[in-house]
Amino acid sequence: MSQELMFYATAFLITVCSVMVVTNRNPVVSAIYLVGDLFLLAAVFASLDAHFVAAIQVLVYAGAIVVLFMFVIMLLNLGPEGKAHLRIPAPELAVLVLTIIGFTTIGTLLLTGQAPGVGGEWSPEAIQTNGGNTFTIAMVLFTKFIWPFEISSILILLAVIAAIVIAKKDKKQVVHD
Amino acid sequence: MGLDELLALLKTDTAIEIIAAVIKILVVLVVCLQVPPVMVWIERRAPAMMQRRKGPNRVGIFQWRLYGLIQSLADTVKLVFKQEVVPRGANKVAYHLAPIFGVFTALLIACAIPFGNDLVIFGQKIGLSVVRLDVGFLFILAISSLAVYTVTLAGWSSNSKYALLGSLRASAQMISYEIPLGMSLVPIVVIFGTLDLNQIVVSQGAYPWAWGVVRAPVSFLLFLICMFAETNRAPFDLAEGESELVAGFHTEYNSAKFAAFFLGEYVSMFVLSCLASTIFFGGWQAPFIPYDTLVKLVGGYNWIAAIIGFTVLILKASFFMWVYVWVRWTLPRFRYDQLMGLGWKFMLPVGLVNLLVTALVMAALEFH
Repeated sequence: MSQELMFYATAFLITVCSVMVVTNRNPVVSAIYLVGDLFLLAAVFASLDAHFVAAIQVLVYAGAIVVLFMFVIMLLNLGPEGKAHLRIPAPELAVLVLTIIGFTTIGTLLLTGQAPGVGGEWSPEAIQTNGGNTFTIAMVLFTKFIWPFEISSILILLAVIAAIVIAKKDKKQVVHD
Repeated sequence: MGLDELLALLKTDTAIEIIAAVIKILVVLVVCLQVPPVMVWIERRAPAMMQRRKGPNRVGIFQWRLYGLIQSLADTVKLVFKQEVVPRGANKVAYHLAPIFGVFTALLIACAIPFGNDLVIFGQKIGLSVVRLDVGFLFILAISSLAVYTVTLAGWSSNSKYALLGSLRASAQMISYEIPLGMSLVPIVVIFGTLDLNQIVVSQGAYPWAWGVVRAPVSFLLFLICMFAETNRAPFDLAEGESELVAGFHTEYNSAKFAAFFLGEYVSMFVLSCLASTIFFGGWQAPFIPYDTLVKLVGGYNWIAAIIGFTVLILKASFFMWVYVWVRWTLPRFRYDQLMGLGWKFMLPVGLVNLLVTALVMAALEFH
């Protein structure tokens, strides 16, 4: 009963934060509300006994990725005119369509009981008997999902190299005399 | 409801858990919030001692001067009563939120640190940290990575050039040094085989030759340096250097919010010191006295042994706080490019090599 109450309270706060992310005029304040969103999402993960995922969510997503967002936003330094240029025509219609699609998908999955992960092989008791959250995730990640893991590492390395190459100043442009 | 029924209700499991949780929260909160006034005093008297002068020793109440301890009280009263000036054009949400982030993250880290062994009270096993997580210090790393927002939001929201520059430098410094911080703690996980902080303390034992600092010395060194960088202290305080950027990210803050920044900084120094003593110096274990012997020495009372363990942890953390003050008043400040070069070009490779060597040694030991 108290767990349900906590979930509903957290879910309400997540909804409020998400609405604030989307409707704020200032992008940095949107990023702040995004941090709140992700932190509350980690709370939901923790209430589902997925402590490792919750900690990693805060560490990586809220603590590093959104900081990167903020740096980029501050670097771009968009004034009100800048933001007007970026306005997509009819955003409200797009939001409405996406919301309908989202609710339909989630509702269908939940009602027919076919959501992936619900009643899967790794229930909290199974995880505890297997040696805890970290151990189970590590074992599954490095045995069953080893290929996606290695390929995503290579992809990230490619992205880093690409970023460095793009950000490097072109030597020809500097010497302008 | 008569008295007997009330007592019976209090002895149920949930009631004991709730009361224990409330007591733990109060104790941790009070201890953490008492650190900044003491630190402000030490911060001014200790360098005075090192520099052969006297620090502040004039403030007194009815002629009790107490060696200048009342100066902390006077400072706090002054800061609270100052006029609060919000700069024009400051972003209201971020301006008021930034100091809150600082204090919030510091106090949240304090929740995960174990300050004693598990007690059994009225048949209920109670762990002596505010939360008992099996991913202990991953939680701490996660919360300390949220501390970047304090600095970033404070400088950006102030609508001031110096504040923005200081805050961007400070946040770049903090996120750069988060990586060697985590990298220096991974060999600890490899050595101890667990992420649970209480388990790490217990498996270190009471004898100093089995402590984390002896088992992973390079990790300890890296962690110590990153501790200074993460709290914007000592040789890494370019962001708040008085001669560099006016006052850095907190230029436009005054009165209670300025006090909140300093509260957050000193509390985060304290909790990182507690973390260092927990992982590397045996935590709540008294040196050379195993916990069972200690319990027997105090006559079998678990809670007295727990209080002694708490005191031992505070003493070890105080040692690190002294090192913080000592290093601050001894070493000159790093230049910004030296600072970033140190973090990325020196500490990250050393951390990686350390991890590799630790993993190889542990694998070799397992094969025997």
